[in-house]
Amino acid sequence: MEHVDHILIVDDDREIRELVGNYLKKNGLRTTVVADGRQMRAFLESTPVDLIVLDIMMPGDDGLMLCRELRAGKHKATPVLMLTARNDETDRIIGLEMGADDYLVKPFAARELLARINAVLRRTRMLPPNLVVTESGRLLAFGRWRLDTSARHLLDEDGTMVALSGAEYRLLRVFLDHPQRVLNRDQLLNLTQGRDADLFDRSIDLLVSRLRQRLLDDAREPAYIKTVRSEGYVFSLAVEVLGAPS
Amino acid sequence: MNLAIRWPRTLASRLSLIFLVGLILAQALSFGAQYYERYETAKNTMLGNLETDVSTSIAILDRLPASERASWLQQLERRNYRYLLDEGSPGTAMRDTPIAVTSIKDAIGKDYPMTVTDIPGPIKHFQVHLKLADGSPVTIDVRPSMVPLSPWLPVVLLGQLALLIACTWLAVRIAIRPLTRLAQAVETLDPNAHAVHLDEKGPTEVAHAAKAFNAMQARIAAYLKERMQLLAAISHDLQTPITRMKLRAEFMDDSVEKDKLWNDLGEMEHLVREGVAYARSIHGSTEESRRTDMDSFLDSLVFDYQDMGKDVQLGGKSEAVIDTRPHALRRVLVNLTDNALKFAGAAELKVENKNGSLSVKVMDRGPGIAEEELAQVMEPFYRVENSRNRSTGGTGLGLAIAQQLALAIGGSLVLSNREGGGLCAELKLPIRPAGQ
Repeated sequence: MEHVDHILIVDDDREIRELVGNYLKKNGLRTTVVADGRQMRAFLESTPVDLIVLDIMMPGDDGLMLCRELRAGKHKATPVLMLTARNDETDRIIGLEMGADDYLVKPFAARELLARINAVLRRTRMLPPNLVVTESGRLLAFGRWRLDTSARHLLDEDGTMVALSGAEYRLLRVFLDHPQRVLNRDQLLNLTQGRDADLFDRSIDLLVSRLRQRLLDDAREPAYIKTVRSEGYVFSLAVEVLGAPS
Repeated sequence: MNLAIRWPRTLASRLSLIFLVGLILAQALSFGAQYYERYETAKNTMLGNLETDVSTSIAILDRLPASERASWLQQLERRNYRYLLDEGSPGTAMRDTPIAVTSIKDAIGKDYPMTVTDIPGPIKHFQVHLKLADGSPVTIDVRPSMVPLSPWLPVVLLGQLALLIACTWLAVRIAIRPLTRLAQAVETLDPNAHAVHLDEKGPTEVAHAAKAFNAMQARIAAYLKERMQLLAAISHDLQTPITRMKLRAEFMDDSVEKDKLWNDLGEMEHLVREGVAYARSIHGSTEESRRTDMDSFLDSLVFDYQDMGKDVQLGGKSEAVIDTRPHALRRVLVNLTDNALKFAGAAELKVENKNGSLSVKVMDRGPGIAEEELAQVMEPFYRVENSRNRSTGGTGLGLAIAQQLALAIGGSLVLSNREGGGLCAELKLPIRPAGQ
């Protein structure tokens, strides 16, 4: 029998959780809806799920607390997708730092939620297990740089923020997730395409050169991203996973 | 001819004028009274002396042998009268008798009949003619003059005047200063920024005014906060029903009606988000300031637009690392750029680092904004008539949010029309912003 992904939806608004549940069911997923953290814990005791959709703004234990609790307990490997009512960068960052895998701002479209759920499921299954927990809210250190994966920017030795465009960040993440492995342009393109895939039309070569500039990497003698003739690129340094940014 | 004396405009000069004129008049009056008193006393003493002196002198002359008289004249001469042993100069009859003459008459008039003549000239000068017992003529030549003033008196008077002016200036300054401070505080009053708390000390009236001002300021701030909380609450609470509606709409069969509903919901969603964003921009952000490399910041912003296929270009290099709140700054620039894209289809960013401040210009070649509306467009919910009207969408909050956030990060935002058409929004940021 084919595995059907089981999604647990935690939202205090009855209508929203039922509408979401029905939509996902209609699109071939198995869903369970609960109203709060207590019910969520009770359900998870008996049934493991593949992904949890968690609303941040809930009476009682809010989504951020529940997410942290999940990450600390035996469900730390279960991906979490946060629903937030506030379209604010700091909220997103807090959510990711609490260990959420993705977030979606209310009001959202159900088909976008479905797309995100599928993307998160695909990503967590693809990644080697040791990187799953480093997915978000962590610092990745390499060379003289650190990458803040929740705020999505680079930090130099002085702690000065060096911003990255969305495409640059995604490409750098691909390299950092696959260090010292040669990746060809097709692989890079596939892995770099995030949820804004349709908007992404830069050639990989241009992106690599932009990223090198950002990292102050000399294009003729690159220290970070090396060109492998007729094959692609390789990120040549080791990547260290640090704790959450202070 | 303008006869009206212009009443000075400032309170300081009016008060100074009143004080000064009043004090000088009072001073003049008391000086005059004293001077008159002294004059009277001096005159009486002098006249008394004159009577004794003249009667003695005439008696001496009368008793001396005629040959010796001339040699005594020197000794009998006084400061303003002397004796001549002749008929004197020709003169005219005296019109009114000076008091000195009366005194002389009182002293010797009984024994010596006399005539008085006035010697015309610029200075008062008269002569009293009489005959001694032996019949020889004697003339008393009088050149009356006042007792001279001491040479230090004008100096003292000038000193007093200077003291008066200094005291007036000091008093007026002390009285006016709290008022000036109050006026300044009112002028710089910005309910959105941090309140300037006035010192509630000083004279009672001033303390009272300061207290009233502080209370008013607190009330304005409270009203504004309430307004913002209301806006935030309404916007926030609308998100749940909009979410439900969007979810429901997705269960509908595809139709024109569904698309229209979808668009309406999108518009509502946008309004709600902007409302929340505006309320938050006023409330102040919890975002922390951090050292930010400006060139990579602007590059990444522009590349994000370019990656979405938008015509956004960046010119110039800042070569600056500044302390700022990156999300707030990004929001300002995104709002300005979105605006340019909406009205002109393209945006051009230009960064300049000039004497300690950073200037980021977001320019377009769109229709621009009428000069008289440039200041108003940054007010919340303001929409420009004609070209930039509602049909192009938008909440009327984009620029207001940009303006508020620009202030919050210690910068300023100025809109202007470009030569050759289009709008230029210039964000100025201090390279070293003062505190948080």
